[in-house]
Amino acid sequence: MRRLPDLFDSRVKARSLAYLFSAGAALGLITLALPHGDAVKDLQLIVLALLAIAIAAIVWVQADRVSEWQLHVILACGTLILTLANYWTGAMSLYPILYVWTALYAFNFFDWRGAAGQMVLIAVGYAVVLIAQDPESPVVRWVLAVGTPTIVGLLILWMQSRLREEVARSEEGARELRESESRTRLVLDTAPDAFIAIDGEGTVMTWNAAAEALFGWTAAETLGNRLRDFIFPPGGREGHDARREEVVSAPEQIKVSRFEVELQRRDGSTFPAEETISRVRVGDDLLVSGFIRDISGQRRRQQEREALLREQAARAEAERVAEMVSGMQLLVDAALTHDQLDGLLGDLVTRVRGVVDADAATIYLTEEGERLVARAASGTRSTPSEAVPFGEGFAGRVAVVREAVLEQDFDPSRIRDPALGALGLRSLIGVPLVADRDVRGVLVVGAVNPRHFTAEDVGLLRLAADRVALAMEHVRLYEREHRVAVTLQRSLLPERLPNVPGFAVSARYQPAATEPGVGGDWFDVIPIPGGSIGLVMGDVAGKGLVAASMVGQLRSALRAYALEGHEPARVVEQLNRLLWTDASESRMATLVYAVVDATGAGVRWVNAGHLPPMLAIDGGTPRFLEGGRSVPLGVLPFPTFEEVSASIEPGATVVLYTDGLVERPGSHIDAGLARLVEVVGEAPDDPEALCDHVLEVLVPNGGASDDVALLALRNIPMGDRFNMEFPTQPEALASMRALLRRWLRHAGGSEQEIAEITTACGEAATNTIEHAGARAGAPFELSARLEGDEVELSVRDYGAWRAPRPGDQGRGLSLMRALMDSVEVEPGPQGTTVRLRRRLNGA
Amino acid sequence: MAEDLVKLDIEERGDVVVAHVSGELDIAGASRTGERIAENVPTSARALVVNFSELEFIDSSGVAMLFGLARRLGSRRQQLRVVAPGGDAVSRVLEIVEFDRAAPIYTDVDEAIADVGADGDGDGDGDA
Repeated sequence: MRRLPDLFDSRVKARSLAYLFSAGAALGLITLALPHGDAVKDLQLIVLALLAIAIAAIVWVQADRVSEWQLHVILACGTLILTLANYWTGAMSLYPILYVWTALYAFNFFDWRGAAGQMVLIAVGYAVVLIAQDPESPVVRWVLAVGTPTIVGLLILWMQSRLREEVARSEEGARELRESESRTRLVLDTAPDAFIAIDGEGTVMTWNAAAEALFGWTAAETLGNRLRDFIFPPGGREGHDARREEVVSAPEQIKVSRFEVELQRRDGSTFPAEETISRVRVGDDLLVSGFIRDISGQRRRQQEREALLREQAARAEAERVAEMVSGMQLLVDAALTHDQLDGLLGDLVTRVRGVVDADAATIYLTEEGERLVARAASGTRSTPSEAVPFGEGFAGRVAVVREAVLEQDFDPSRIRDPALGALGLRSLIGVPLVADRDVRGVLVVGAVNPRHFTAEDVGLLRLAADRVALAMEHVRLYEREHRVAVTLQRSLLPERLPNVPGFAVSARYQPAATEPGVGGDWFDVIPIPGGSIGLVMGDVAGKGLVAASMVGQLRSALRAYALEGHEPARVVEQLNRLLWTDASESRMATLVYAVVDATGAGVRWVNAGHLPPMLAIDGGTPRFLEGGRSVPLGVLPFPTFEEVSASIEPGATVVLYTDGLVERPGSHIDAGLARLVEVVGEAPDDPEALCDHVLEVLVPNGGASDDVALLALRNIPMGDRFNMEFPTQPEALASMRALLRRWLRHAGGSEQEIAEITTACGEAATNTIEHAGARAGAPFELSARLEGDEVELSVRDYGAWRAPRPGDQGRGLSLMRALMDSVEVEPGPQGTTVRLRRRLNGA
Repeated sequence: MAEDLVKLDIEERGDVVVAHVSGELDIAGASRTGERIAENVPTSARALVVNFSELEFIDSSGVAMLFGLARRLGSRRQQLRVVAPGGDAVSRVLEIVEFDRAAPIYTDVDEAIADVGADGDGDGDGDA
């Protein structure tokens, strides 16, 4: 059983005992004042009363020091005194009543054992008294004297136990309350969040440790003061007042609110905080308490999280953009690396398919009559070949609406193209390829999954289509221009070099390997009437169609001026005027124009800003034909073009070239020229072999970074005999005569002899030409032979000899016979040979 | 080569037309040169002097052209004179074909023109 608390402390017990003794003594003395029998021994009773009073006085004085057991002894003494008094008063007195008082005290202040002990003492003592007195009905008296206090005492015990339990309960409650309070305080003090309580006026009632730590104000500083002066930044106080007002005036009994506010520390720094405020109305009093949490970390984490998300999104976006850009770049690259449409389309369609991650892609091009023809496909097994009219099928629809079309859930059976239809495409995008406001084609991508493409893909594809259209247009234009330019340039370069008797001519033109454009390099070999030969090597600034057309103008003009018989300087002057006055183009050209005279004795040249011609001498070191240099064409209105000449020995070779042959990136042109001297010096004599050798050494691997043009003319040394074919055309006669004169001079003929023999030979050739008939253009052959001092010339054709008709035509034969020593006509089945002989007498 | 090796300059001296022919006269250019000369001789002209002083070469085609001119002028009663300096290939050819039977040959243009007047009504065929 739980030990119940004492209801009374020892001092109360002691004083009560003193009251009991003094009251008993007083009662005893008062009883003596009343009339009483003789049996009462007054003196003894007065002594007992005085004794009781003395004990009462001692106990009163010593009340703080009296112990529990002393109280028991004193009470027992009291019972003894009472028993003596009962003895001395006689059997009829009321003194037994006093036992009740004693018993009540014992039951009231002692536990039940102490009380029982006192009751035993009373019972025994009174029993002894009754026996000694021998009164009437002593048992009844005893029972009354002992029973009454016992019953009352037991009643008191019961009541006391009830009282004690209540006290115990009340103490327990108080203890629990204390413990709860200390726990709350502990919780508040150790709470991570600041806890502040204020009353309705805003005065701080509670300020926990976390609040101290958070704000830097101690509880001592804040308690009893107004909260608004501590934790709010200057601008935030009105907000606090408003919030407090709102919280305070809310009609609810308990109101809880949350706020995010900016709060201030003691040092003035601010931080974002979350306030959880609850208001409790306790009667007329208000208590507003708030938990305050610094959420800067939380906010920072949230911001970090948001930043991370944003960064991830940005990175994803960047990657997507990068992918898109690189995809677009691929498209642009494709446009730059292709000069042919079909190659470009094939490349583009594959790349476009990659850009939007499609299963299939097709590029249709618009053909005549508004029809679309698939020109390139990727992801399909075959390129559909059937033309789709505008307006029909998916691609046709796109061509008509001229807008991007997105089909998210297409019925594959509606696809016209069997090649695409077989793939079961469900998601389609079609975009028109528009250039110059014309639909040049349609780009279609498809995916097997429905809803595969997004609106973003449409945008992407639209961008791609722009580039594809641009690339196509670029290549289309390029193709056209390139085709025209190449055609033009090929038409401008001599298709076949003229056959110039006594000279061997070779030329090479090698387009740049790396540059797709058509260069402005050109050359020409012009047989000038009278047997001399014009050599041209030029370079027009620029490339492509414009350069090619400029070359065309220069070439035509030069030929015209040259054939009019103008001197080289005059020819070049005319060309300069042509370029200078051509106001539409600010054009520049370099050019060497050299004329090798018919006798083969010399060369005259003009150099308009070009690299110097080279003269390669049999068995010697080649040298440059310096001099005769002037500004390029088209630079000055009236420049002076100096004409310079040099002799060319038989066996010498004139070499003309453009800068592409000698210029190399990163090396000086002098090095290139020196190398050219070296290479030409070791090259074979024959111009064909020479050109091959020079190109092989200086332009290996089939191309330089620039165009290369090379022209070589060799003055073939003449021996005692030669054999040459000429076309059966009147125009060939002059060349034949030039060659023949050279040879006759070599053979030692006098001018007169040379002229006469040439005339005779010309007559033979003329006869052949006049009778060429259907064989016009087939060659005739001239053989010359020097035997001692006799010249033998044979003119052989491949037709039947016609006997000269009378009249004018007969004069040819007459002339031959008159001019030569002998004339023999030898008809044969394969042709006719006229053999002329004449002995040379020399000058 | 469609271009002419022959160069032709026409000069009118009073009623005499002088045709200076230079270059080389062969089958390629002879007949055309003959036509061009004939075109430049108006009916009012008394005579044509063909100056071969600068001519480097002539063959039978050139000779044929010359004979053709002679016939044509003769039919219009106009005189033909030919100038050839002599000693060169051209003179030699004219000599061989005996062109002087068709028209007189001079060594100098002035002499030829002066002779037009002296020759009176100038029968081109007459001199041999």
